[in-house]
Amino acid sequence: MEQILSAIIFIPFFTALLASLLRLSYSNLRTLSIVSSIIVFGLVLFLAIQYDPHGGMQFIRTVDWIKNYGISYHLGVDTLSLVLLLLVSLLMPLLYLYMWHEHRKGYWYNMLLLQSGITGAVLSLDLILFYLFWEMMLLPIFIMIGRYGNSNRQYNATKLLLMTMLGSMSMLFSILYLGYTHFEISGIWSYSIESLSLVIFSPFIAIWVASGFLLAFIIKIPLVGFHTWMAPAYGSSPTPAVVILSAIMAKLGVYGIWRFGFTFFEETLTRYTPHIITLALIGLIYYAIIAITQSSLRRMFAYASGSHLSLITLGLFFANIYSWGGSLYFIITHALASAGIFLMIGLIYKRAKTINIDSLGGIASQAPLFALFFTFFALSIAGVPGTGGFVAELLIIIGAFKYNILIGIATASTMLLAMLYTFWMLQRTLFGAVGVATQNFTDLSKKEIIMLLPLAILLLVTGIAPSLFIPFIEPWISITLESINQNIGGL
Amino acid sequence: MFAIIDQLYIILPMTIVLIGAFTLMILSQYKIFKLQQFNLVAVLFLTIALAIVLMQFGQIQKGYLFADIIGEIFIVDDFALLFDIMSITGVILTLLINTDYFQSRSYFNGEYFALLLFSLFGMILLAHAHELVTAFIGLEIASLSIYALVGYHKNNHVSSEAMMKYLVLGSMTGAFFILGTALIYGAVGSTTLTDIAIYLNEPSTSEAELVIIGATLIMITILFKIGAVPFHAWVIDVYEGSPFPITMFMASTFKIAIFAIALRLYLLDFLSLYTKWHFVLQTITILTLVGGSWLAITQTSIKRMLAGSSIVHGGYMLIAITSIGTGSQIAVPAIMFYLIAYFLSAVGAFGILSYISASGIKQLTYEDFKGFSERRPYLAIFMSIFMLSLAGFPSTIGFLGKFYIFTAGVESEQFLLVGLGIITAFISIYYYFKVIAMMYFYPNNEDQKPIRRTFSSALIVLMAILIIWGGIGTSLIPFIPSADALIDIAKDAINSIG
Repeated sequence: MEQILSAIIFIPFFTALLASLLRLSYSNLRTLSIVSSIIVFGLVLFLAIQYDPHGGMQFIRTVDWIKNYGISYHLGVDTLSLVLLLLVSLLMPLLYLYMWHEHRKGYWYNMLLLQSGITGAVLSLDLILFYLFWEMMLLPIFIMIGRYGNSNRQYNATKLLLMTMLGSMSMLFSILYLGYTHFEISGIWSYSIESLSLVIFSPFIAIWVASGFLLAFIIKIPLVGFHTWMAPAYGSSPTPAVVILSAIMAKLGVYGIWRFGFTFFEETLTRYTPHIITLALIGLIYYAIIAITQSSLRRMFAYASGSHLSLITLGLFFANIYSWGGSLYFIITHALASAGIFLMIGLIYKRAKTINIDSLGGIASQAPLFALFFTFFALSIAGVPGTGGFVAELLIIIGAFKYNILIGIATASTMLLAMLYTFWMLQRTLFGAVGVATQNFTDLSKKEIIMLLPLAILLLVTGIAPSLFIPFIEPWISITLESINQNIGGL
Repeated sequence: MFAIIDQLYIILPMTIVLIGAFTLMILSQYKIFKLQQFNLVAVLFLTIALAIVLMQFGQIQKGYLFADIIGEIFIVDDFALLFDIMSITGVILTLLINTDYFQSRSYFNGEYFALLLFSLFGMILLAHAHELVTAFIGLEIASLSIYALVGYHKNNHVSSEAMMKYLVLGSMTGAFFILGTALIYGAVGSTTLTDIAIYLNEPSTSEAELVIIGATLIMITILFKIGAVPFHAWVIDVYEGSPFPITMFMASTFKIAIFAIALRLYLLDFLSLYTKWHFVLQTITILTLVGGSWLAITQTSIKRMLAGSSIVHGGYMLIAITSIGTGSQIAVPAIMFYLIAYFLSAVGAFGILSYISASGIKQLTYEDFKGFSERRPYLAIFMSIFMLSLAGFPSTIGFLGKFYIFTAGVESEQFLLVGLGIITAFISIYYYFKVIAMMYFYPNNEDQKPIRRTFSSALIVLMAILIIWGGIGTSLIPFIPSADALIDIAKDAINSIG
């Protein structure tokens, strides 16, 4: 029980290590990967059942790592990390199903390492440990895009790497400064979140230190102005990598702001709030408009994903109970929906050898079941009532109106714009005349249905019965908000 | 005071190295021995020396050897012994990891190993020197051997050019050292470090100017040897012109020895001059970081890139050196840790290069690494590990090295330097990851090559494991020293100096 978090992190890693040492064939590697991902998913489910939503940080494990600097191997789980943990461990088996016929073994190794990196980043409560996993998860993505991607992949992978590393480096500086300040005040080195959250800076310095963290997370999300890596990287990633990028890694930027921003710099962030809200609002609308103009499905949904992540960020910075609930809920539903849509774009590419919207058409008449799923995922991205996206967007918009009525109106425009690009895209790809590319478009196979069904069912349930999930996430949000308001009020 | 027998025991490792050097010189007269046998003899002598030093480490109290005859010239303390361990290990690893390379080049012979051991002797002398002239002798013994080694491929004009360049510039800066020593002697009346320290700590010191000038001249020699900008002009050409084992030796092991004397001089004597040097040192650090990065970015050959980046790594250590003066407690252990970290990564990276070029290719460019991951999948993984460690990617020892250095900088509130260090670390991501990108992102046009199970490949694996272990090695697993323990050892060694 004590080791459950470590097991969740390291099972994929050791699977990869074992497989590479044994030089397994690709089919054995596939079996092993799938088994490991299912074991991890089982463990995470078990964890979720044991988890008490009112209990704060749980399953804490602390072991000294580098004693001289108070760095420890410090893990724990709360609602925020549990949500991301559930998502990543659910997606992995589905992605492995998608990769069923993938013969290149490096692909599997990278996916295994990626899972370890992401879960580690989500679970660590020590800043240096977090930094380690934060960088660790970048490497597999870099290799996957550069090696298995398409169209100018080397350049795009390097761009992603350099821009993300720029953020990481600035974060490292802030981490070092935080640690040192803690040492200066208390005489003890420590990098654990609890002890560092007690450090108080002068407002001027706090702005700089916070900016180091924010830069890393804003690039990862990415907000407008820091987004130049996004469309190229999404465009040339292989499908599993793009699913991870959009469904999980972009959310880790939000996670970072939530976890670190709102614990270390509650007060400083209020100074950043207007600027970030402006950036996110511009992003929300700008990305959506760009999405309308895209001709490639991948790039279109890349921008759509950017738009929705700006919305999540907005919800975060409105900092009231509705918007936070909406943001957390949107993290779940957007991950499910974007995973679904990017997987299906991958399937389209497998069948039609193109994802150019203009060359597609008439899929609905060739493959009705395919069209049904595709429409469903696209509509949940757009936030049509009945899908989980709707509930989340509604909550964030309510939060926005609570914050400011004009900003509320601007935020609400996202629903409109999303409808616009989704429906237009659906019309051009699914309906109309059957093109050359879609002539022999086959319907979903059983394996593909198994892969997509869990996502679809979850989206439906989250849309129809949000009351099943809200009690799970609500206590954490109200507790966290309350403590933040107390801290800001107390200063 | 030591009994005479104890004193002989203490200098035994040095003596063994020297005897080894002479033995190799005599043996190399006989043409019946193969190169591998010379290598074996050299490693044998060094291993015995290393074993003895390891036994001595931590067991011997601080003191001066033969003090009744030569005065306080030759010091024995844990600091010196730790540097002995590092240098001897360095030479052993350099010899073993290059076994393939030695065999592939016809110009290597027995004298080569003798010269390497002479150089090591000089380095050990340097670590134990407690007096400026002795330090100079040690430095010159080490350097002269290296001059010869750099030009060892005598039919190659690049190699000869490198040797001339290094010899002329190196001898000139050597003269700086002597001049500095003379000036200090003029003021202090003695050249032992203790006397200089006493002189500098006297409140009535009036002629400190001479000492400052002398110390600055000595500092220039040291900065030249570690390749700090603006004394770096030789680095890239010399590193490129030398045979791989020598490049590796200069970049890692020789640097360790230079830092041994630099730290001792600085900590014992010249720390009190810090306020005068503060600005100069900071400027040099900034120049080194920026200039080194610029040099490293612009190269197309991997060997030259590594040479350029070795300047940057010198710059990181200079950050810590400037932090010593502003009161950082951990700067000195940080430097020692960084030396080990850089040593492991550089030896690994150069080791792979020499391993590859053992099978023919003369100059390795980025282009040559295209498709490397398919040609030699295992070597590609290890090369990636070395590159990651050099770039300071977490979970490698290189990250912890940088972490300690930057923490030292932050502790002494040198935010400008640390910020610049982090920016150069970011730039270094570009040129190190370029190698990884070349290996993994491009298709392979050549046949897959079988891995040769030799000493060289085994040591490359060992280096990679050590790097990972140094990065994540924890006290979670009992009985195996962790990254933590290394820094503790360094701290204890530093305490022995003062």
